[in-house]
Amino acid sequence: MAGSVTRLPLEGIRVLDFTWVVAGPVATRILADQGAEVIKLERQPGPLGARQTGLQGDLHRGKRSIAVNMGTPRGVEIARRLARVSDIVMDNFSARVMRGWGMDFASLSKVKPDIVCVSMSGLGHTGPRSNYVSYGPTLQALAGFTLLMADRNGQPAGYGYSYADMSGGYTGALAALIALWHRRRTGRGQFVDLSQFEAVVSVAGPALLDIAVNGRDQSPPGYRSQELPAAPLGIYKCRPRGDDDDRWLAISVRTQVHWESFVSAIGSPAWAYEAKFRTLYLRMRNSVELDANVARWAAGEEAESAMERLQRAGVAAGVVANGADICARDPHLRARNFWGTVPLPDGSTTHVTGIPMKLSATPGAIRTPSPIIGEANDYVLGELLGMSRAERDALIAEKAIWPT
Amino acid sequence: MNGSGALSGLKILDLSNYRGQLCGRLLADMGADVIKVEPPGGDAARRIGPFVDNLAHRDRSLFFWFYNLNKRSLTLDLKHPRGAELMLRLARGADLVIESFAPGTMDSMGLGWAALHAANPALVLLSIAPFGQSGPYRDFDADDTVLAALGGMLYVNGWPGHAPVRPWGLQAYHSSAYYAAIATMCALFARDRDGAGQWIDLSMQEATAAAVEHVAGSYFGEGRVEPRRGTLHWSRYFRVGKCRDGYIMHCTLGDWTSLIEWVAGDGKAQDLVAPEWEDVQYRAVHAEHLFDVLDAWVADYSRDELLERAQTLRLPYATVRNPEALLDDEQLRARGYFVEVEHPELDRKIRYPGAPYIFNDSPWEVRRRPPLTGEHTGEILRDELGLDADEIAALAAEGII
Repeated sequence: MAGSVTRLPLEGIRVLDFTWVVAGPVATRILADQGAEVIKLERQPGPLGARQTGLQGDLHRGKRSIAVNMGTPRGVEIARRLARVSDIVMDNFSARVMRGWGMDFASLSKVKPDIVCVSMSGLGHTGPRSNYVSYGPTLQALAGFTLLMADRNGQPAGYGYSYADMSGGYTGALAALIALWHRRRTGRGQFVDLSQFEAVVSVAGPALLDIAVNGRDQSPPGYRSQELPAAPLGIYKCRPRGDDDDRWLAISVRTQVHWESFVSAIGSPAWAYEAKFRTLYLRMRNSVELDANVARWAAGEEAESAMERLQRAGVAAGVVANGADICARDPHLRARNFWGTVPLPDGSTTHVTGIPMKLSATPGAIRTPSPIIGEANDYVLGELLGMSRAERDALIAEKAIWPT
Repeated sequence: MNGSGALSGLKILDLSNYRGQLCGRLLADMGADVIKVEPPGGDAARRIGPFVDNLAHRDRSLFFWFYNLNKRSLTLDLKHPRGAELMLRLARGADLVIESFAPGTMDSMGLGWAALHAANPALVLLSIAPFGQSGPYRDFDADDTVLAALGGMLYVNGWPGHAPVRPWGLQAYHSSAYYAAIATMCALFARDRDGAGQWIDLSMQEATAAAVEHVAGSYFGEGRVEPRRGTLHWSRYFRVGKCRDGYIMHCTLGDWTSLIEWVAGDGKAQDLVAPEWEDVQYRAVHAEHLFDVLDAWVADYSRDELLERAQTLRLPYATVRNPEALLDDEQLRARGYFVEVEHPELDRKIRYPGAPYIFNDSPWEVRRRPPLTGEHTGEILRDELGLDADEIAALAAEGII
C-alpha cells in the first residue's frame, strides 16, 4: 500500500459498511482514508461496470468488498458474524431493513455489547415520516434549499447536485468518530439514529433562527450578503476565454479600505468617485447602479487576471471555477497537491477528490482503488471468519456468497 | 460539565472568527468544553445579523448564536503580549486550539504552531483558512461566495447561459466546519495512540471542492466539464415540477410500474406507457421529455396531495418547500429537532435547530445558551489559571480582558 509509512489515525478500526448510493459511501470513504478497514458488504453479484474511475472511484476507494446474498439465511448469518468482529456497523437504510435481518443495534448489542451502529436513514428511525423514501435532491427540497436557490425571476434554479448527500455523509463520519471516541472512554457501544434530512436542515445556518425568533419569511439570497455586509458583492460576467463564453468572477468588497483598493485596482474610473458610492451604506443602497458599473468593467476583463489583480490589491475575488478549472488549471490546488492519484490494476492511474484536511503527522492516505465486487471474499471469510476453502466454496455453491 | 456527552473532558480554545465557528459548536454540542476567545470589544460575528427583533446589538446576534451555542466566552486581547501569554498558559491545559486568522497571524502574536507545540506537545492546533497555510493563494482573501466560486460549487448551480446561483446559507464555511471537526477527531485518535498533538491545515477551498464530488468525478472519469442544468439533477433522475399550488421534486428512480399506472390512470401518460421507459437508463437519457410529460401530469395536483400519494406508493417524491415550513414539520417535531433554550436576559425561550442525530448513550444536548460577551472571563481565569480577583481586575483595567 502506497503512502502507509506513517500510521493512520484510525488503524485498527473495522467498519462493516452496508451503505449505498452516495451519502453513506461518503461517510465510510472519509473513515477509510484515515486508516479504518472498511468492509463494503455488497448485496449483488459482480461485475459492475466501471466502478474504479469517476464518482464511483471516488466513493469507494480504500475499501474492501465482500458480496453477500442477503436474501439467504446463510448470507445473513455471515453478515452477523462479521458484525461480531467489527467495531462499527453503518447503513443508510430505513429502519425496517436492518431489523429484518436481525442486524439492528438491539440485536447486535446482545452478541457484541460494545458495538457501535450508525444508521443514516433519510428521515430518521422515529416519527410519522420515518418510512418516507428519499434521495439527496428530495431532502434538500423539503429543507428549503431548492426554493431559495432561485434565479432573478424567483424560479427554483438549483441545486444541480445532491448537497444533502454531502451534509449527510459528513455528519455520518463525524457521528461515527464521536461514538467511537465515547466507546474508547467508556467501553460502551451505542446506536446513532442519524436523519439525513436533519443533517441538511442543520447546515441552513442562522436563517433558521431568524425564522424561529423573528418569524421572518426567507427570500432567495441573490447577491445579498449572508455574512459581513459587502458592496459590490456579486458574480460578474467576464470576457470569453477562447470559445468559452461562460466565465464569471465573484467579488466581495467589505470595508472602506477594500473599496479604495478595489477602485484603484480597476483603474480609478470616474463613476467610483460619485457621492452615491462614497460609503458602504450608500453602496448597498445604490447597489443596482453599482453592480451595473462593475459589470461593465468586468465584461472587458479576463476572469483569472482580474482575480489576480484584485487579490494582489487585497480584495476578495474568485473565478467561478468549472470542472476543468478546479481539476486541472487552478495553480493553488495543484501546488497543494489536492487531487489524489490512485493506481489501477491494469497499470494505469486515475485521479480522485483529495483529502481536504492536512494533518501534519498523520495526513491520511488514498490507499487502494475502488474494489471490484467480492474482491475481499477470501480475506473476509478466510482470515476474519476462519472459514476453510471448502466452506467458502460451499457458500458460493449455495449462492449465499457471490463469487469475485 | 455534567460529563454525559461523548466529548466531555475535552477542552477547546476557539479563537476562530465568523468563518470558522461552526466546528467548535459541533464539538460543544457533544460535550466538549469550548471556550470562545474574543477580543475585548466582542467577536466580529456579534455584529452580523440577523438580530433578535431586528435590534442590532452584540448580545442579540442570531448569527453569533447559531455558531456559538454551548460555548463559554472569554475576552482576551491576543495582540497584547500579556494577552498572548495568558493564551499560551491556557493552551497548556487544552486539547485543541481552533483558529481561522489569516495565515501567519498566530505566529505574529507568538501563538504559532512552534510556540503552542512547545507549550503543550499534546495539543492539537486546527487552522481553518480560506486557502490553507501554503501555496500561491495562501494570502488571498475570501468570503463564502468567493470560496464557493473557487471551489467549483457556484458554477454548477443555475440555468445554462445565465449567472450562477449562490447556495442558501454559507455552504463553503459549513462544509469546511464538518471536515474540520472530522479532522479534529482523527487527530485526537492519533494522539491517544502516539502521544503527540499535530497541526491541521484545513483549506476551505479544498473542503468546498470536495463537496461537489460529481464535478471532479465527471472531469476525471469522462473528461467532461459539468454544466449548469437548472433544476435537472446531473444524474438526470430529478427535476423540479410545478403543481397547482407550488413546486415538487420529481424522481424517476422509484418503482416505474407504480408511477406509470398512476399517471396513466389520470389519462396523462402519453408515450410513457411504451416498454422502453421501464429501463432506468433509458429514462435518464430521455429525461427532458420524460419530465415534460410528468410536469403536464402534476399541474392539476396540489403539492401535498401529490406527496402523500407518491409516498404511499413508495415513490421518492418531495414537495419543494419554503424553510418556514420546517418549524411546523411533524417529523422534526416528533423527533424533537427544535429545542427551546432559555435566554434569561431577554426573558424568553428561543427555539434552536438541534441535533442531526440521536445518540442513545451520549446525547447531543444544550448545556448553556450562547455566551454574552466575556461572560465567563472571570471564572475561566480563576479556575483554569488560578488568577485572583486583584490580578483579574488589573487585566481588566489595562483592557486586556
